[in-house]
Amino acid sequence: MIKGLYSAVSAMVMNAARQQVLSHNIANLQTPGFKQILTTAEDFMQGQSVYSPGLIQTDSIEYLGTMGLGTQIGPEFIDFGQGALQDTGNPLDLALQGNSFFSVKTPDGNRYTRDGRFLRDADNTLVTVEGYQVLDDAGQPITLPDGDVSVSSEGAISVGGTAVAQLGIGVFTTPRTDLQHTEGNLFSGPTASTSQDVPLVVQGYLETSNANPSQLMTQLVEVARSYEAAQNIVRNQDELLGKTIASLGRIG
Amino acid sequence: MSSSLFHTLNISRQDILSRLTDLDVSANNLANVNTAGFKTSRSNFQEMLDQKLTEGVLLSNTQMLTAQGSLTNSTNPLDWAIQGEGLFSVTLPDGTTGYTRDGQFVLDADHKLVSASGYPLVWDGTILEGMSDISISSEGVVSANDADGVRVEVGTVQLSRFPNPSGLTSHGDNVWLESDASGAVQTGAAGAENFGTLNPYRIEQSNVNLSQEMTHLITLQRSFSMSIKAFQQTDTMISQAINLRKA
Repeated sequence: MIKGLYSAVSAMVMNAARQQVLSHNIANLQTPGFKQILTTAEDFMQGQSVYSPGLIQTDSIEYLGTMGLGTQIGPEFIDFGQGALQDTGNPLDLALQGNSFFSVKTPDGNRYTRDGRFLRDADNTLVTVEGYQVLDDAGQPITLPDGDVSVSSEGAISVGGTAVAQLGIGVFTTPRTDLQHTEGNLFSGPTASTSQDVPLVVQGYLETSNANPSQLMTQLVEVARSYEAAQNIVRNQDELLGKTIASLGRIG
Repeated sequence: MSSSLFHTLNISRQDILSRLTDLDVSANNLANVNTAGFKTSRSNFQEMLDQKLTEGVLLSNTQMLTAQGSLTNSTNPLDWAIQGEGLFSVTLPDGTTGYTRDGQFVLDADHKLVSASGYPLVWDGTILEGMSDISISSEGVVSANDADGVRVEVGTVQLSRFPNPSGLTSHGDNVWLESDASGAVQTGAAGAENFGTLNPYRIEQSNVNLSQEMTHLITLQRSFSMSIKAFQQTDTMISQAINLRKA
């Protein structure tokens, strides 16, 4: 009976963790380049289920089999699926298609991102909206001369018809294993691409969050009901325990 | 992974507050759909995540989008629109220089060219009493008929530009100020490369894209409702945890 109590509580803890990640995904519905976080639930350890008829003098414990001891939150995954492209008309908004990532320089080192909201800073360097420098294919910052910027589908930047730089774009065969989510919208990974695929850059567009609102809402309901059910089980267990103590202990 | 429902509540709270700021930005854009020389702003949201601990969303900044507005005709010779990157310089009451794209100038009582908001235009000429028929060329040369009816050149209007115009600080009245993010001002003749040309008898319309802004408002409202739902649900979960013990 006590085991059951802890199993039910473990389900509450697991669903609270899922709720947090769901709220995070909902909060980032309007964050360009955002990749939703997926949660997993897994079996907590297995215990032995025993039956004891209560005979004295003999070793009468009978093993009936295994019994699950609840659930726990499993590893989180990033869904690297493509987000929809949104037309912004801003020449320094870039979107990527396929498993490719822009490389940017942050104070903690070089990172990959799908967030293509770039702008010129006061020194004409191409930076992200956070002010991180966008890197070219040699890992160097990109300085833009004055003029209209155009970016080809392969990521070649030209200003006023003159080639300026080639965007450093990492292409990965399996981003799920190649990349680690380090900071908001940023991933760390190997310095070299693991795939030979040619990246596809779209100028004037942003990639929207790849979280699906209807999916999020159904998951939200799922979490609410699982949590409620687990809470009810805990209360029932508590009630049973209370009855056992009160009535079984009574003499006469 | 440790987590607390109160932390989750905070994620949704931050989310809701960011959406409200975004609504302000959007409302300002919509309010200025007919303001000459107005530039759209957008809210830049960013994911907050620290050492795998999900922390929701952050409104990292608002960004001015400097796309060219369309030019419409006007019958006023002092309506000047810029086609290109340049900005007009005006003197603000405190003596600092402000920059604007709103080229609807008027002659005030002292024969000064002032912007629609009443700030004097910065240029190298003066218009004397009795002058009439003021006009401007696409290179910024202002000419007028003097008191005797002779056509004379009275001065030149130069344009200003910035490396990062989206980093300019908004002053209000459709005027922007130089900032660290915008970089230092560069001054040049109208028609010079990257400064743009001057177009008399034209007004630059606001670059707010109405359909884009309305679509944004819809998605904004829907994500706001979702954030509220998530918040309420987390609240219910906390209440259920509190009521674990049957009374």
